[in-house]
Amino acid sequence: MTIRPDNRLLDAPMQPLTCRRCGAGVEVRKASWHQTSVQWNADAAGTCLERRTAGPGIFPGCAALRDSIVQAALDGEIAVPEES
Amino acid sequence: MTAVEAGNDDIRRIEAEALPTRFARGWHCLGLSEKFKDGEPHTVNAFGQKLVVFQSGDGRINVLDAYCRHMGGDLSQGTIKGDEIACPFHDWRWGGDGRCKKIPYSRRVPLRARTAAWTTMDQDGLLFVWNDPEGNPPPPEVTIPRIEGATRDDWTDWVWTETIVNTNCREVVDNVVDMAHFFYVHYSFPTYFKNIFEGHVATQIMKGTGRQDTRPPAKDGEPRLLGNDSAASYHGPSFMIDDLTYHYDTMDINSVLINAHYPIDATSFVLHSGIIVQRTDKLSGPAADEMARKMSSFILKGFDQDVQIWKNKARIDNPLLCEEDGPVYQLRRWYEQFYVDVADVRPEMVERFEFELDTTRPVEAWKKEVEENLARKAAELSASTGRPA
Repeated sequence: MTIRPDNRLLDAPMQPLTCRRCGAGVEVRKASWHQTSVQWNADAAGTCLERRTAGPGIFPGCAALRDSIVQAALDGEIAVPEES
Repeated sequence: MTAVEAGNDDIRRIEAEALPTRFARGWHCLGLSEKFKDGEPHTVNAFGQKLVVFQSGDGRINVLDAYCRHMGGDLSQGTIKGDEIACPFHDWRWGGDGRCKKIPYSRRVPLRARTAAWTTMDQDGLLFVWNDPEGNPPPPEVTIPRIEGATRDDWTDWVWTETIVNTNCREVVDNVVDMAHFFYVHYSFPTYFKNIFEGHVATQIMKGTGRQDTRPPAKDGEPRLLGNDSAASYHGPSFMIDDLTYHYDTMDINSVLINAHYPIDATSFVLHSGIIVQRTDKLSGPAADEMARKMSSFILKGFDQDVQIWKNKARIDNPLLCEEDGPVYQLRRWYEQFYVDVADVRPEMVERFEFELDTTRPVEAWKKEVEENLARKAAELSASTGRPA
């Protein structure tokens, strides 16, 4: 099966973002103030402090990265579409 | 409110490639292991084949290709004799390792008397079978995690259901990301929703409140449902464990829900649901069993609603998504890892992806903070330049 691209990314692609705490580089997209997508890669997973020190089981997410994304959105570095 | 975008008048075509010709690599649950421990061989149609499941004298549950390599007899119609399954046609005896051990009327077993055997795992009251088109053994890191409550006295026994569904099993996996369908199909209202795909695990975390418009208000004295917390993960292509807690005004109810399937062939699968509920001071004895049964029938209702949709819908490889939809394409990219050889699993199929929807903070609060930020920056700018911004 071919892996197809998400039609939504054609209009507004993922944007690069660096975590302000550890410098892990990820890709981020916000479809609204409430919605956030994050694409990690192996480098980012190896760099992220919270990821590296997490126990076994599901890693719910990195709080520092989350804060970095919020701040980037508030500062206008990550685009947030206007809601109608 | 929906803004309709004008511009492109071409008709959107639904696209669907041919169904996959192989079955997913991974652990698949065949149901309660108890069912297979009755001294009889069982027929299971799975992975496009007929299988025989039988418990040998040593207690192990074995899974073999059902057709005897001698003259094609159906072993699942045969008899268990000691550690072997005996063919009903000529009594050839097959061991759980897939080798013919004995032919009662012959002095020796011919060379090449070996049939396909599947690796099995009997864990937490459930029988699992490992499917791998490449024929490799299951790597330990993709094993199904233990379900603590399944073997504990303060939890109920499994309430288990099995349903045959006549469509390709990708449809059921798609549900992991389908936020909107919870509202329309399952009458639940998520306030927080998160998907995480990483390695062989796909997770859905959800916090929700019941829709007030679809359920009768609690009567006096009855506990009132406030909301629920759910953390559900597919461990591989087919077995989902959901830690689900219902919050009432007077108590919490902890449960574990299983949503699992195995493919019969490319156009049908067996859908399983299982549930156990924790017994507490407020939910003890038969009340907990009754709760488990109630939740099971509630889940079945949800499945029925899904099945109605699946029965009639088209397979679609190019769903047209709006911003409020979940990460369908990213989920399918994750799911694809189970349909290619291990050597062909690409980083993008297993690298971590997160999709989060958090509605607990109102948009007004975000907008206010942005305005404050802008005002502060303007003030800083004017202070540093000595001019009003």
